[in-house]
Amino acid sequence: MPNQSSQIYKGGKIVKSKYPTSVKKVDFAAKFAGEALFSDDIPFDNALFAKTLRSTISRGKIKAVHLPKLPEGYYYFDRSDVKENVVNIIFSDWPVFADGRVNYLGEGIGIFVGENMEVLNKLVEETKVDYIEETPVFDMSESYIHKAFKKGDYEAAKKKAKRVIKRTYETSFQEQAYLENQAIIAYFDENDKLTLTGSMQCPFYIKRAVMRSLGLGDDQVRVIQPAVGGAFGGKEHYPSLTGSQVATAALKLHRPVKMIYERPEDIVFSTKRHPSHSEYEALIGENNEILGIKAHIKLDGGAYKGCSGVVLSRALIASCNAYVFENIDIVGDACMTNHVPCAAFRGFGSPQTIFAMEMFIHHIAKEIGVDPLELRLKYLAKHGDVTTNSGHFHDPIILPELINKAMEMSDYKRKVKEYSKPGCLKGIGMSLFLHGCGFTGSGESDIIKGKVKLVKDENDHVYCYASSVDMGQGCRTTLKRIVAKNLGLPDEQVTMDGPDTDATPDTGPTAASRTIIIVGFLMEKAAKNLKKIWKKGVRQEHIEPYVGPSYIHWDEATMQGDAYPSYSWGVNVVEVEVNPITYQVEVKHTWSTYDVGRVVDERIAVGQADGGLLQALGYGYLENLRCENGKFRQKGLTDYIVPTAVDAPPMETAFIDNPFIYGADGAKGMGELTFVGGAPALALAIENAIKKEIHSIPATPEYLMEVINNGKY
Amino acid sequence: MVKYIPASKEDALNFLASHDAYIVAGGTDMMVLKRNAAGLLPKFDKDVLYISNLNELNKIYEDKEYIHIGATATLDEIYNHPLTPKLLKEAVGEVASINIRHFATLPGNIANASPAGDTIVIDYLLDAIVKLESKNGVRLVKAENFVLGVRKVDRRSDELITEIMFPRFSYDGDMWYKVGSRKADSISKVSVAGLYSITDGKISKFALAFGSTAVTVRRSHELEKEIEGLTQKELLDRCEEFVEKYSKIISPIDDQRSNKEYRLMVAKNITRKFIKQVGEGK
Repeated sequence: MPNQSSQIYKGGKIVKSKYPTSVKKVDFAAKFAGEALFSDDIPFDNALFAKTLRSTISRGKIKAVHLPKLPEGYYYFDRSDVKENVVNIIFSDWPVFADGRVNYLGEGIGIFVGENMEVLNKLVEETKVDYIEETPVFDMSESYIHKAFKKGDYEAAKKKAKRVIKRTYETSFQEQAYLENQAIIAYFDENDKLTLTGSMQCPFYIKRAVMRSLGLGDDQVRVIQPAVGGAFGGKEHYPSLTGSQVATAALKLHRPVKMIYERPEDIVFSTKRHPSHSEYEALIGENNEILGIKAHIKLDGGAYKGCSGVVLSRALIASCNAYVFENIDIVGDACMTNHVPCAAFRGFGSPQTIFAMEMFIHHIAKEIGVDPLELRLKYLAKHGDVTTNSGHFHDPIILPELINKAMEMSDYKRKVKEYSKPGCLKGIGMSLFLHGCGFTGSGESDIIKGKVKLVKDENDHVYCYASSVDMGQGCRTTLKRIVAKNLGLPDEQVTMDGPDTDATPDTGPTAASRTIIIVGFLMEKAAKNLKKIWKKGVRQEHIEPYVGPSYIHWDEATMQGDAYPSYSWGVNVVEVEVNPITYQVEVKHTWSTYDVGRVVDERIAVGQADGGLLQALGYGYLENLRCENGKFRQKGLTDYIVPTAVDAPPMETAFIDNPFIYGADGAKGMGELTFVGGAPALALAIENAIKKEIHSIPATPEYLMEVINNGKY
Repeated sequence: MVKYIPASKEDALNFLASHDAYIVAGGTDMMVLKRNAAGLLPKFDKDVLYISNLNELNKIYEDKEYIHIGATATLDEIYNHPLTPKLLKEAVGEVASINIRHFATLPGNIANASPAGDTIVIDYLLDAIVKLESKNGVRLVKAENFVLGVRKVDRRSDELITEIMFPRFSYDGDMWYKVGSRKADSISKVSVAGLYSITDGKISKFALAFGSTAVTVRRSHELEKEIEGLTQKELLDRCEEFVEKYSKIISPIDDQRSNKEYRLMVAKNITRKFIKQVGEGK
């Protein structure tokens, strides 16, 4: 069965576009023709390659590094070559080069740099490192970041409870599996300025990381973004590490230095999604009501904290998903392990807890013998309600409409009943969810303070400048459409190129589902303001700073207040069939409804919807990344199984408008929203089919065999 | 090191007479095994003979006794050829991805002798014969004798596999089960092929072969003899006994794709399903 295609073809001709309001993406032609230059395609004269010398143990002190004799034209760089040996991330504990010790298998100790990759590989092979080994930690027993908050009085509610229900949920590592591997190049531009280009999400993060590690000033480092082949969070922080490494070499050698990862190196050594272990407890009252929810959520942060504190924070904020409970007691720990550091990945903590909560409310319903849908509807968040973190839902919530529409599209009610019959191997599952848009709390106004710039030339052509990276999601198209629309210009009269830190103001990172809701909003305001001062045939410039909603107040220390400027909402329905011989899951169909405020470009939005959900389905049943003794067993895309086109089910998506006052024409974020509900919808569908509880993802056939043969319900 | 592209089969055999070489047809396994860093040439530690251009080895034809599949016929060509045995076609259609099937060959699959080679299961089940040619003549070896272990086969360095020959015989029903990790482009966790015939109310032919569950494909002629001659009801009555007996001929392992418990359980489930299929004559 074919997936939704964006155009309807007849006899090889496009007769009707399914998305008549959508335009061709600005990068389409170059990418389709293979002409777009990705990092490794960019020609450099005189370039050298960098190859990383990696630790072969998970934890220990480095006693000595015995380098082989370096041939002429070959160099070695390590911690002694940097000014400050840290990667500038939210919490800067990750060294650019191992700092006398290693904390995970594969940690970079140094880099060899030279012309010939074969020689570099040999140099790495011939280097001997002496260690004093220490016992590594691979379980989540050592918390290095602890967070907690409460709402109401859980302990008092416990006294009124007639029963307590407990479950434990686990989620695994996930690999971003972007098409283009990590790639970074440091070189000198036409003005002899140290410049970095590479596969990235956040040019200014790299700039600041290089400035810090090499002790350079704001005017001494430039970062330019070329075409980027996917990122999903995996290029949010990691290029700050590799960028600092190649910049160290380039600065000393005054030559271009390229570091291009191959797939196994990328899968095994770059950052992953945090595995989680969540213990949930529910208090049930006399009338089968939920009196309170308690949860202890643990994330495997890996060897360095990096951004794990924020991931933990966002996991905890999402711990009750789209439900409102009176009494809440939430505790979270990010744990130090000697695994590869975990960092950003589409969803940023919330897929782990939304999976747990969606499964839990279902398991509560089953255990107390009420209809799961009714129980969920009873606790749905409503406009004005007090959130999990004691803030408020400031904007209208249309979740009931989204649910009704999704149920109607999928024939959910009939199917869930029919598939519940014993022996039926089909199943259908529905998840309801929310996702916060933009940085946590008032971070957009207080910390990021993003700016965009519009420049109009003498021919009245408008150029948009923002540090937002188009990594395939289409923001160069959507942002410029917002500007064109608000200026009343045809799309062709507006251009948006990739960021160059010398020309582009810092609009913040391309992360946190913030590009449309924050940067789009800025572009809209900038365009409106430029229109006000518009003078034909004259060069004009306008810079627009972000001013967010003033009613958003958040205290990160206590985790109390408005966790996000706004939320997007969604419903995923997934239908499956389970093979009783092989325990394999076949995803038959999906239906989704979303409130993303208002859609800017429908085809691009559907691209996010289909891509996000498919990636989430992979997370739910296929993508098995097992780490044994600090070592990943799946080292390539042959064994790390992402869904193929053949595995992709037909997907139907509907958007319901609910414009947000601080969004571009009402638009909110959606990049992560489309990911967070897929795995629980899938797992609930599997439960419906096999009549047993799922507590862990990915629900591989190996796991399902155990559940079917030994599980309880 | 010599890399040689022969002009003819004879030329290839002459080369092999004096060179211990890797033979590359499609290269879909070899190029992965010998892979070097991106942008660098593969690391061959011996001479290499490339045979994909030998059209004389590309033919698929039949005679009275055999369907002959030439050594350089790609899996895609085999899949689309009317003479291809049904089970082979089914298995070939699920190997890796379309682009791999445009290059891969049957001799490549069996000579690579991976425990997870899908077409080897069919070679065993259909009593395929590996035709090896050298300057000294032709040697015919049954597929199940040809594979000696993981990546070990009974090929002398002067020999070239020129054909895989499938004996022509008919049967009543069959089964092919590939258990991969996803629907396409996947390496088998377990694969099972079976076929049977019923004559005068009795099972006259019964064969089952298992892939990815031991160091080589497994098939038991003893168990087949035990089953042949039974009535369908007798087979059904003894279903669990035979499921257990079959589970003893395999010895699956844990690896990055699956674990031994799963492989064993699924192999047993498929065996049970097949025995029921035979017993019920479906």
